[in-house]
This record gives sequence, structure tokens and C-alpha cells, in this order.
Amino acid sequence: MQPQPTTAPAPPAATATPPVIQLTGIEKVYQTSTIETVALSNVNLSINRGEFVSVMGPSGCGKSTLLSLMGLLDEPSGGTIAIDGRPVGSYSDKELAGLRNHKIGFVFQSYHLINDLSVRDNVELPLLYRPGIGGSERRRRALAALDKVGLTARTGHFPAQLSGGQRQRVAIARALVGEPEIILADEPTGNLDSVMGEEIMDLLLGLNRAQGTTLVMVTHDEQQALKTGRLVRFFDGRQVA
Amino acid sequence: MIRHIFTLMWNRRRANGLLVLEIFLAYVVLFAVGTIGSSLWENYRQPLGFRFDNVWQVNFLPGTQPKAEALGTLQQVLARLRATPGVLGVAVTASNTPFSFNDSRTAIDFADRPGGPKRPINNINSYAVGPELRDVMGLEVTKGRWFDQRDAVAGSHPPLVIDEQMQRAMFPTGESALGKLLTLNKDKQWRIIGVVRAYRTDGELKEPLPAIFGPIAPADTLFLPQSLLVRVAPGSGAALEKRLADDIRRIGPGWTSTIRTLDEMHSSQLKQVITRPLLLSVMSIFLLLNVALGLFGVLWLAISARRAELGVRRALGAPAGAIARLIVGETLALTTFGLVLGLLVAVQFPLLGALGERTSVYLTAIALAAGALYLLATICALYPSRLAAGIRPAVALREE
Repeated sequence: MQPQPTTAPAPPAATATPPVIQLTGIEKVYQTSTIETVALSNVNLSINRGEFVSVMGPSGCGKSTLLSLMGLLDEPSGGTIAIDGRPVGSYSDKELAGLRNHKIGFVFQSYHLINDLSVRDNVELPLLYRPGIGGSERRRRALAALDKVGLTARTGHFPAQLSGGQRQRVAIARALVGEPEIILADEPTGNLDSVMGEEIMDLLLGLNRAQGTTLVMVTHDEQQALKTGRLVRFFDGRQVA
Repeated sequence: MIRHIFTLMWNRRRANGLLVLEIFLAYVVLFAVGTIGSSLWENYRQPLGFRFDNVWQVNFLPGTQPKAEALGTLQQVLARLRATPGVLGVAVTASNTPFSFNDSRTAIDFADRPGGPKRPINNINSYAVGPELRDVMGLEVTKGRWFDQRDAVAGSHPPLVIDEQMQRAMFPTGESALGKLLTLNKDKQWRIIGVVRAYRTDGELKEPLPAIFGPIAPADTLFLPQSLLVRVAPGSGAALEKRLADDIRRIGPGWTSTIRTLDEMHSSQLKQVITRPLLLSVMSIFLLLNVALGLFGVLWLAISARRAELGVRRALGAPAGAIARLIVGETLALTTFGLVLGLLVAVQFPLLGALGERTSVYLTAIALAAGALYLLATICALYPSRLAAGIRPAVALREE
């Protein structure tokens, strides 16, 4: 069953609870022996539960770095990141991995599916790193996630046998399978034609509307960004809107 | 996770085909080396059955002296040597002395009950020895007795001593062989009077064979033994050796003799027996090194090629430790594929009874070779797995 396309963005959730992601005074500097590149500077951003936020800006403005920091894939050079109100700066690698596994789902522009694994095995992947879930349960949940993105007929296929849109659907199913509260999507429609891009966008909007999943999406597409609940713009590592 | 790893490696089997082939070949060579090594070890663990320290072997040739005269000369030589200070005992023996590479083999068909089916017992070491051999070589009699004065009187059945392996070959159920008759060459029957632990003159690394001992009576006028085993006092050296050689030359004009210590003969025999396995081991070490470098190189390359995949896994919640375990696991899975092929070859040997080696030796070699390959694969995977675990997911994903 596919989620129904929506035209109106979901309303932001009430802010009585702490933001699901809060960035305070975030700095990110990439340093080599000869050059220092400031990717993000003094970023303060809160993402509330159930929000669908799009992030826009020119290439190199720090959008993907922002997503990496939100997804706990990288550490900031300064400032604090809090998930559900709890700063994660002192968390160990294992604790961060646990948070990523339980709370966050990733969707990438180039899908990042593992070509040597079938569609179903790709979707099962996040559950593999979640203790206590057996093989049959993993399979059940993977099939349920594939059902949500309308790909139950392709479970035994390999990524190379799918179109770009289908691959991105698999990637979304993989992000959904662990039932995360947050999905971080880095240009999810960037490699797709407009029709497929619309399909994927409708799918993400449906997830936000139907399940209340919090979404942060990096995009270059103004039209898609306007469909989301909030638009954040970046320029030269700074939040400008 | 194990299923996931095997699925992944099975799906990548074409890409890893050559490596699997190399692991298979390495397994076969390791199995061969393991079989030889295991066989040598099994042999080594068996009791040698005698003490060879302070024992000298004297070989002599009587030259043109007629046999009847030579037998008389031998008695004089024996008397002289036994009376020499520093000599503790002298035994006459046929030339199949310890570590001499000489052997005298026989085979019999034996029925362990009257009228029962006969079983072949092959490769029996047959020794003709004087009664002094027990004391000179420190043989341990475990049942019955050794040759003594009673055997000097010719009876209907000459006496025979066997070793424990012969006892087991004759009566696998454990029945005692003492008093039983054994038909040897030309239907002559021998009565078994005693059992000794062992007398492995082929050395500790050769497969133990059953042994039988027939006596050389002092008054024997038919058989001229040409070897003596002499136990000397500890610390005896060149002076005693020269004296013994001089005495033999003086008593037996025209006789030539050589004297060697069993210690020397043992070392020399050991070198010869172990040379071939050592060469094979060196070759297998080079092959293993080759496999190790192959594995290491492939893994290193794979980590570089899979940075994005590993980054995604980290993004999906894999801790660094899980990534390290994944790489080690994949390497072990590859090893398992090669090993399964190797096992298919290796198990044929015990199943078909090829090369006549013991089943326990093959099974030990199969396990040892598998263990060595898994160990090698784990060692090769450790550093690449650390590299993989250290990949920063954000960087890996950005590079892609």
C-alpha cells in the first residue's frame, strides 16, 4: 500500500516537548595541513517532532554537513547537538550507533544500496544491528516496509535490476524499517527525473502526514521545498532564513 | 549476522573466486603437510622400547675366514669384549640394529582360533638376537619371559618373543598370546614365550610395526651374526673404541670392523627421515605466505572499494566493532568456502583408505589444516577490519 500524495504540508507539532533535534551554536571546520574550511558557523536550529523541514542552499553551503551532524555521523567542531533534549557530545561510539539505529533513518541521493544484497536483505540491514530481532521478524518487518513503498513484487531482485525511482523506494523502505522518529534525506530526488522525483516526494510527504515521522530533507528543488512545513536556507555555512 | 555474511559472500562468489581457489589449494597442501606431521607425531608418541644411550654398534666382516672358523672366532671376540673394563654387556644380533636402515620383514596369515579365518599380518620386523639383548638395550618384558638357559635345549617348538603391537595384531580382543604357536616360514612353528613393550629399530618417527624375536643360541653353528650391540660405561670414549677395534683385529686376523655409537646413528637417521617433511613444510610456508598476502591485499582493496557501503552501515546503526566483525566474518566465510572444497578432497583419503595411513592421522590433519587456515585468515583480516572500523561515515558518504 502506497501513501497518498499530499499537497498541504503537515502542521508543526506542539513544542511543549523538547525539540527532537536541537543544534546550538554549531561550528564545523574541516582542517588540512594547509587549509581550513569553515563548513558551518554558529548554526542554531531546532527540529520539532512531526515537522517536515527542507534545507536549501547553493552547493558547498554546508547542507550535507548539517545533515551529517544531525544524523550523528560526524562531530561538530563547536556547539552542542541534543536529541530529545539530551546532549550527545559525551556519547560513546556504541551509544551514538544505537541512537542512529533506533531514532534515525537515512535516505541518500545516490541510494547507497548494497548491490550484492537483494532488495529484502538491503531493507533488513538496520535491523541487523538491533539486538534481539530474529531472522523471521526481520523478514516480516522488511516486507512490511517494502509494502509501504509499493515494492513487494521486487523483494528478491538486486539493486542493479531496478530503476532509479525503485532504488530510492528501497532506500526509503530501509530508512523506515526500524520505525525511526526522524528521517534525514539528502537530496532524495536529485538523481531522478521529475516524474519519479514527484513520486518520492509524495511518499515522504505521506510518511510525514500519515505516521508523523519527522523529516529533514536537503534539496535544490524550490517546488519540493515549498511542499514541506518549513524551509531553512543556508549560505556559506550560515543559516540565512 | 552469520547468515548475512554468508549471503553477502555467496553473492560475491564470482569476485572472490580466485581467492577461494587459492584457499582451497592452500588447504590441500596444509592437509598433506598436516598428515605427514601428524603421522610423525603419532609415531613419536609411541614408546621406542629401548635405551640407546651408551650403546655402541660393532659391525664386522670375517673376510675370507670360513664360516665354521668365524663362529669360533666370534665366541672369542665376545669373551674378550665382555671382559674388557668399561663394557657392561654385549649382545649378538642380525644386522637390523637400531637406526641402521637395515630391516628384515616377514608376513603371516594368522587365525586367532583353531579353524577360524586367517588374517594377514604384514610388515612384521623379524629380529634374530642373542639373549643378552634385553639387558644391553633395556627391553621391558611385559608378559611371560625373555630368552634364557631353558631355551638352550632344543625343543619341538623353538621359543619366540613378540612385542605388544604383534600381540594386538594377533589378538585384537586382548587374549594373551603367551604359549600360542605361530607358524612362520616353511611351516615351522614357534611357541610364544614372552611379550616386550616395543623394539622400534626404525626410529621414533617411523610407523611402529609389529616385531618378533628369535634367539641366537650361543652354540648356534648355522647363523653367523655380523653385528654386536655393546653397552658401555657412561663417559666411555675414543680410548675404549680403539681398544675394542684392536682386540677384534687381533683375535680375528683379516676381520674388519666398524664401531659407531647409537647416538650418532640416531642423529643421522633422524636427519634423513625428517628432511622431506621439512622441505614440504618450507614449501607450504611459502604457499601460506602467498595466501596471506593475497587475502590481505584483497581485503585492503575491498575496504577502499567499499568505503561508501561501510559508511552506510555505520549510518544505519552499526557500531565500529560490528564493522570490524563484519570484515573478519567475511574473511572467515571466504575461507570456509575454500575449505569446504578442500575438505571434499581431504575426506577421500580416510574414506578410501588411501596411502595406508591411519584414519586418526587423517582426521587430525584435516582439523589442523582447517585451524591453521582460519587462524591465518583471522590474522590477515585484523588490520583491514580495524581500518574499516575507523572509517568516518560522514567522510565515506561524502566521497561517494
